[in-house]
Amino acid sequence: MERVTVKPYGEGKLYRELAATHGTPLLILDCEAVTCQYRLLSQSLPGVELCYAIKSQPHPVVINILYQLGAGFDIATSGEFELLRRQHIEPRSTIHTHPIKRDRDISEALRFGCTTFVIDNSLELEKFVNYRHRVGILVRVSFPNPNSPVDLSRKFGCLPGDVDHLIRKAVSLGIHVKGLSFHAGSQSPGPENHVYAITACREIIERHNREGGKLLSILDIGGGFPVSYADSTGDLVRDIDAFCAPIRDALGKFPGNFRIIAEPGRFLSAPTMTAVSKIMGKAYRGGESWYYLDDGLYGSYSGQLYDHATYPITIYSDHPERERATIAGPTCDSIDVIAENIELPPLSIGDLIIGEQMGAYTSASATDFNLFERAKIVPINQKKQ
Amino acid sequence: MKHYSETLYDSYGQSFLVDKLYFENKTEHQHLVIFENAMFGRVMALDGVIQTTQADEFIYHEMLTHVPLFSHGAAKRVLIIGGGDGGILREVCKHKSVEHVIQVEIDAKVVEMCKKYLPTHSAGAYDDPRATVVIADGSAFVRESKESFDVIISDSTDPIGPAEVLFTGDFYSHCKKRLNPGGILVTQNGVAFMQRDEVVNTFKRLSAVFDYNTFYSAAVPTYIGGIMTFAWASDNSNAHKIPITILEERYKSAGISTQYYNPAIHQASFVLPQYLLNSIGER
Repeated sequence: MERVTVKPYGEGKLYRELAATHGTPLLILDCEAVTCQYRLLSQSLPGVELCYAIKSQPHPVVINILYQLGAGFDIATSGEFELLRRQHIEPRSTIHTHPIKRDRDISEALRFGCTTFVIDNSLELEKFVNYRHRVGILVRVSFPNPNSPVDLSRKFGCLPGDVDHLIRKAVSLGIHVKGLSFHAGSQSPGPENHVYAITACREIIERHNREGGKLLSILDIGGGFPVSYADSTGDLVRDIDAFCAPIRDALGKFPGNFRIIAEPGRFLSAPTMTAVSKIMGKAYRGGESWYYLDDGLYGSYSGQLYDHATYPITIYSDHPERERATIAGPTCDSIDVIAENIELPPLSIGDLIIGEQMGAYTSASATDFNLFERAKIVPINQKKQ
Repeated sequence: MKHYSETLYDSYGQSFLVDKLYFENKTEHQHLVIFENAMFGRVMALDGVIQTTQADEFIYHEMLTHVPLFSHGAAKRVLIIGGGDGGILREVCKHKSVEHVIQVEIDAKVVEMCKKYLPTHSAGAYDDPRATVVIADGSAFVRESKESFDVIISDSTDPIGPAEVLFTGDFYSHCKKRLNPGGILVTQNGVAFMQRDEVVNTFKRLSAVFDYNTFYSAAVPTYIGGIMTFAWASDNSNAHKIPITILEERYKSAGISTQYYNPAIHQASFVLPQYLLNSIGER
């Protein structure tokens, strides 16, 4: 996908109206897009329980829509549990997926009502001895994905060869290990690592279950389902059904009553939000135009740094000319540049710059640096309850 | 909320149809839910765990109260730790011999909401002139109080959350200091089959503090998984072995009407299944 798309001025009317009503910067949350993304992934992964990774976009409206649609939730902290509590979310639908926890993280999760936890080493396993009658454990296995921009198997996960040892240790401690989990890498350019990990986990599970004892009955296939950004990974992926087809085949080899869970975050939230920022200043330096927006890398565009995402930018203009330009955020830091060496029509102070696919890991990791106000999230297309 | 699923265990649990939701919110200390169910009437849960229901509460409250009080025979001063629903206070106040009962509950909201939505639990006991309610941490109270008691009843939640401190050796030893000679401590100690660790831990910790300790039991339907155990500790190693004729005399003269408790079940409740005895290494 191109970094910048210029569309006819008339088509940007909705954003201009929303900016006039609510001010800027904004993140427009399209509630219909949340439903659409959930249905797309559900249809592509039939029989898989989708647990939304709320860290990607913890907005209550997103959470409520997904809850109504039947989603569960992937939670990593007590703060996230408190958010779900305020939304009156049934705790049975939640899993705690942070492999590293303090004792109080475990007890607070249990008090919320979450009983599924993830571990990847024996020190973490030992933390559950006091809670052993109340919990079911998933062992997270590492399957590194060098092709993913966010490889989630470096920091967490045990080697496939360590699983047996961890399960034996759990049995000796009286702790129930009920399944395996992995994360094949966020924004995966292809399903190959998912398929590899599913197959490897199935072999471990089948071998374990043949040997008797308590059965492994759950596989959590993590997330990694990609969306279209303005970079090469985005270009590779247009069709989630095609992406999931080999994953479906790999999952089809499990027995019918085997539970499969997934933890999609980005796929459900990224396409649901659009950033609307306003040009608050303009300068001509080094032979090009610099536009200073009221949102930037310390705000909604934080994912450019933390999440390695390159968001597609849309300009609504009928001007035929193009000139070299740079778009920068509002803070005093020189790193706060959203896009450089791009071709834009001439723009004026007060014009809007639209960032697409900005629902995931955007406002979630925004800061208050310089005390510039954060983008206001404005839901549209909300179904009346 | 259309149904309420208890989250006490990962792979097993009970679920209630909710006919009416009376209260659901986080208090200062815990998540409190009160709702109506066709089979059990009003149901109260804290932090995902069923605490009491209108239909079966009598079993728990009668056994946790009358067994120590009739065993003691002359209890004048009683301390209740927890018991925010008021059920234990109601049963204690039925004993005319009791001159003063102090209830120390950590969560004022539980008391307030139970008075409002579970009024038959306390049944006016909070207005009894012999009753004093203190909103405080029970473990701090027994540590700092200078008062003494004939019977201490710990009616707490399970040991994850605010009640964790009520299952420690520290708490038990401070309870012992608050007990008069011959005094008795009883505590809610979970469902033995499901929560075996609680039985083992409590037994060890009480053994280190008291001359004699054991468990007695009763089956309470909504504490799922079999018999609920009550821990029993006293420096009078005969207090749990009162002859039935004496218990009958005390029961009769107290004039208390009960639905579960009677002297025969009092005696029988100290008979424990072998799996439990094996767990605590007795016999």
